[in-house]
Amino acid sequence: MNWLPMLLDATESTAANYFPIGIQIIFAVGFVAFMIALSAWVGPKRKTSDKLESFTSGISTHGDARHPMAIKYFLVAILFVLFDVEVIFFYPYAVNFKSLGWGGFEAVLLFVAFFLVGFFYIIKKGALTWED
Amino acid sequence: MNAIILSALLGVVMMFASVFTENKIAIRNIAIFGLLILLASNLLNIYTPYSFNVDLHNMLRFDSFGLFFNSIAIVSTLLYVILSGSDIVKVGNYPAEYFALIFFVLCGVTILSSYNSLLMLFLGVEIMSIPLYILTGSDKKNLKSNEASLKYFLMGAFSTGIMLMGIALLYGASGNFNLEMIREKTSIAEFGILAPLGLLLIFISLAFKVSAAPFHFWTPDVYDGAPSVFTSFMATIVKTAGFIAFVKLFSLRMADLGPSYAIILPVIIIATLLVGNITAVFQQSVKRMLAYSSIAQAGFMLFALYTSNDLSTEGILLYAAAYSIATIGIFGILIKMKDYTFDGYNGLAKKQPLVAATNTVFLLSLAGIPLTAGFFAKYYMLASALKSNGSALWLVIVAVLFAAVSVYYYFRVIQAMYFKDGDAETTEIDGTFKFVLVVLALLIILIGINPSILLRWYYF
Amino acid sequence: MPIQYYIILSLALFCIGIVGVLVRRNVIIVFMCIELMLNAVNLLLVAFSKMHHGIAYLTDKTTTTGSDAQLFVFFIMVVAAAEVSVGLAIIVMMYRNTHSVDVNFLNRLKN
Repeated sequence: MNWLPMLLDATESTAANYFPIGIQIIFAVGFVAFMIALSAWVGPKRKTSDKLESFTSGISTHGDARHPMAIKYFLVAILFVLFDVEVIFFYPYAVNFKSLGWGGFEAVLLFVAFFLVGFFYIIKKGALTWED
Repeated sequence: MNAIILSALLGVVMMFASVFTENKIAIRNIAIFGLLILLASNLLNIYTPYSFNVDLHNMLRFDSFGLFFNSIAIVSTLLYVILSGSDIVKVGNYPAEYFALIFFVLCGVTILSSYNSLLMLFLGVEIMSIPLYILTGSDKKNLKSNEASLKYFLMGAFSTGIMLMGIALLYGASGNFNLEMIREKTSIAEFGILAPLGLLLIFISLAFKVSAAPFHFWTPDVYDGAPSVFTSFMATIVKTAGFIAFVKLFSLRMADLGPSYAIILPVIIIATLLVGNITAVFQQSVKRMLAYSSIAQAGFMLFALYTSNDLSTEGILLYAAAYSIATIGIFGILIKMKDYTFDGYNGLAKKQPLVAATNTVFLLSLAGIPLTAGFFAKYYMLASALKSNGSALWLVIVAVLFAAVSVYYYFRVIQAMYFKDGDAETTEIDGTFKFVLVVLALLIILIGINPSILLRWYYF
Repeated sequence: MPIQYYIILSLALFCIGIVGVLVRRNVIIVFMCIELMLNAVNLLLVAFSKMHHGIAYLTDKTTTTGSDAQLFVFFIMVVAAAEVSVGLAIIVMMYRNTHSVDVNFLNRLKN
């Protein structure tokens, strides 16, 4: 049972190890605050009642939540999930971009070709035509 | 490899067939032509090792067992499409897509017959299952079909989760997904509880897939609710592919589950036989009876896991062929009936003597009567258990008793067809349909007289 | 951290998922519980990957042991997405016919 107490990370987790993360957090918060302040200061201002409503993609915020929705929204959402997640396979390719060489490139081309075939299929089937 | 790549490509071809033609007959003929190409390429694969030059990283292995099962699965699908193709295109508005999904299922089946890595097992199971969820719900306006589809989906996704946890634990114990490396490295003493626990979880999830009791409860509802043409496909090719995956994984490593495995498996076998056979007796609908009978047949196929010897590997292949051919025939006839209850078959022998005769052959084969393929399939299964271990005698006796029970509900259909008066209403039955039925029946009888007709191809 | 912590955490998440699938009645929540099970597995695979990498790294500094598990996680994510899209489509199909997402509606096939 010598493997059980195996440490996942050999280095000690001391406060010093978190220093870069701390810097990054400070930078991220500072950047966001800076951009918000900048846009509020520089940008044009126009105040209407519509702007104070919460934004829900064009759907009214009050009333019954179960009112009928066009199936098109749903279809586009599903297709987005499918095509979005497939991109995950580009990460390992990006990491090994040089070492995989042309063979890897061909494999990725094949992968993208399959994508395009699927994309042509949904266009031909009219899944993305918004107007009836 | 040929079959995996080609079936995926043919699926894409079928998808686009719907863009170019609306003609249902043409679409069916394209599918039949595609299946013939697929069969040819798979046979080619047996003689020439690699037609596609792909670096597999030892994730797939193409041995005669897998390739032979591929041939059985593709031939069964071919016969199924020729027999019921005109009914497939009638299910809904998307005939070409149904065939595309069937090709994608075949892709999963061919991966399952040749996987050598747990990653490929997972992908194969998923590629096989996801199109089936859609096929189950393809009758969109029918609430029963919707419900079956959702139930099948939830159960399938649940069992996938369990399988993945098993794979993760097995990986933790062995540091590898490769089956051979796992076999080499893992031993109970070294890795504590993780390896047997992982194997047990994979066992449970595969038991879900092949509907072995106590994980069978979704089967009757799903088989009953799905459009009958697709029930036929699910109950035959998909189910036997599940067993092939099961046998490939567990044939050599059953001892890893520890001494408890020797108790678990017989209990599951008996429970499956009990639930399947006893519940089938009380059914009024032939379709639902066939769903329970498929559970009962799964009980016999589980004997292939009990031992690993020549008889059990030959037996599971023979069983896959015999069971698939007979069930495809029975479902093909069931689809043509207007009334799915036993009474709906009353007097079929007078109206359609040929159909009734072939149906009798199929039912006799499922019951395991001598001179049909089903007899030798059951014989091989039980003999393999006896050969390895004399103490399995009680298990074999129990199985034979349940086979006798099964004769009752299969003969109820024969009795209705021949000895009851009635007006069995069928939809139109054409010449091709009858011809394929006769071919199926002849195959059953030929294999039943001499199983080596089929099995000699295994050693080719 | 020792690997046990990860095993216990993911087994706990996995069990929450299983219990959720078994007791919840809303299909969408059942669905989310299944996703929880898959993600528990992802976590465990990554932890094991790091563990095996650490063991191999002690003897061989250029080892790639453990990367296969991380790739497995990618495959689980992609397959889960495919499953989600099919599952949601089925749920929408059922909702259009029954106007409910309660699994208690699934009792018509019982007889």
